[in-house]
Amino acid sequence: MQIDIRNLSFAYGHRSVINGLSHTINPGDYLVVQGKNGTGKSTLIKCLLGVNSVKNGMLFLDNQDINSFKQWTKFGYVSQNYDGFNYEFPLTVQELLKFSTITKKSEHNYLKLLDEMGILEIVNQNINSLSGGQLQSVFIVRAMLNDPEVLILDEPTASIDKQNTEFFYKTIGELNRKGITIILITHTDSLENLEYTHVLNMALDLTTTLCTKEEAKGVDEL
Amino acid sequence: MILSFLNDLFQQDFMLRAMVAGFVLGAIAPTIGSIVTVRRLSFIADTLGHFSLVGISVSLYLSTLGISIFFERPLYLGIIFSIVGGLLIELFRRSYKNYKEISMVIVISLGAALSAIFFSLSKKTGSLYSYLFGSILTVTDYYLVLILITAVIVLVLFIVFGKQILSVSFDETTAKFLGININLFQIMFMIVLSIVVSVLLESAGVLLISSMMIIPVAAAMRIGWSFKSTLVISIVFSELSVFFGLWLAYSLTIPSGAAIVSVNIIILLIIAIAKRLRTNRQIAKLDKLKQ
Repeated sequence: MQIDIRNLSFAYGHRSVINGLSHTINPGDYLVVQGKNGTGKSTLIKCLLGVNSVKNGMLFLDNQDINSFKQWTKFGYVSQNYDGFNYEFPLTVQELLKFSTITKKSEHNYLKLLDEMGILEIVNQNINSLSGGQLQSVFIVRAMLNDPEVLILDEPTASIDKQNTEFFYKTIGELNRKGITIILITHTDSLENLEYTHVLNMALDLTTTLCTKEEAKGVDEL
Repeated sequence: MILSFLNDLFQQDFMLRAMVAGFVLGAIAPTIGSIVTVRRLSFIADTLGHFSLVGISVSLYLSTLGISIFFERPLYLGIIFSIVGGLLIELFRRSYKNYKEISMVIVISLGAALSAIFFSLSKKTGSLYSYLFGSILTVTDYYLVLILITAVIVLVLFIVFGKQILSVSFDETTAKFLGININLFQIMFMIVLSIVVSVLLESAGVLLISSMMIIPVAAAMRIGWSFKSTLVISIVFSELSVFFGLWLAYSLTIPSGAAIVSVNIIILLIIAIAKRLRTNRQIAKLDKLKQ
């Protein structure tokens, strides 16, 4: 899927967060969106997901204006700190994944994915008894269940330890090699272990810089 | 004492009707209640109940003017007003996105005010008591059929759309990526909830509807290990409350709705105490192991 951002601006009331951002994300790209807290990374994602309605600028998904786009099943999304999810009501991992499937094929998928993530043993556990890292891994499995074309991850390693973070990035890299477009938002992680293709830096003064992996490496070496 | 209750239960038609109606409602109420709880909208049944009461009071007022609608059965206008109340909540929710409860306070206040006005105009304030507290013992065959139809609707919806209902309830944002039309779901859910609340209103009363829907779920949440188990446990608690509540109502000649809700609360307290004792025992065991 091609994502075309054209001159996008967004403000919360009078506070401007994104100012005239333009970028095209091509199928198979691995884009890392980096920046400090408050630079508009999550706002950009909310615009891409249609949660924030775009009033200034244009957003095209597969050449279709986002306001008329309907094929949201092509997206997989992992939110920051499980925002919006009620994880206090009793619910097992299996129940969560079963009701998150669309096709019969994806119904068989979840055990394989849990196994690949190394968390198969928690399949019958109540989600409110899981650690932050386990819960995040479950949400990643959920986002991958229905074979998305684009996987959007908003600070996905915030509650995962170092070892699991490395494993997680390895998995994401493998998914990208299979052709899935990755958009990863981070404010802390070093880019060293990531197999990204592009990096978008968002600054507090609303400026944005976009570069390829090679260009980013060149900047680091300087 | 309980034997004479059981004896009368099978010998007196009104008792048997009340028990059947109670058992069916005892299953529907926590089923819908569990979804309402997951969506953190526990207060919504009360709100819709108040708006349903507006429909009932308007129906009574119209009948005093000689205007008969829905064959003088106030329940139907109650259902329509309850749906209107539900749609109003959705409307206000969009204006106060992060303050879901504000929309409910506005609608509940409007409902209470309008129903007070129309009950007063209809000069039938005497019937207000039964609408506030309900009476399952006066259930008619007609009403029993209505309860059964409602139960079938709820059951079919859960079987056909169970996945979608759970997806939206647990996580509205991500449900979009499963191809679910969230707005359509919200409206459909509000309509079904409005029907259930209006049907419950006749037996439980406006003030006790929420209790029948939420308290068994609140108790089951303490011991449930999955959504399914929590739902089943809440229905068991609810059915126990109906049985023992009706027994109490019959034996002590007290209002049936109030008796059912009181048993619900007793179960909740027993579960809370048992859970606390179990936790304390586990902590003591761990402390012993550490020493």
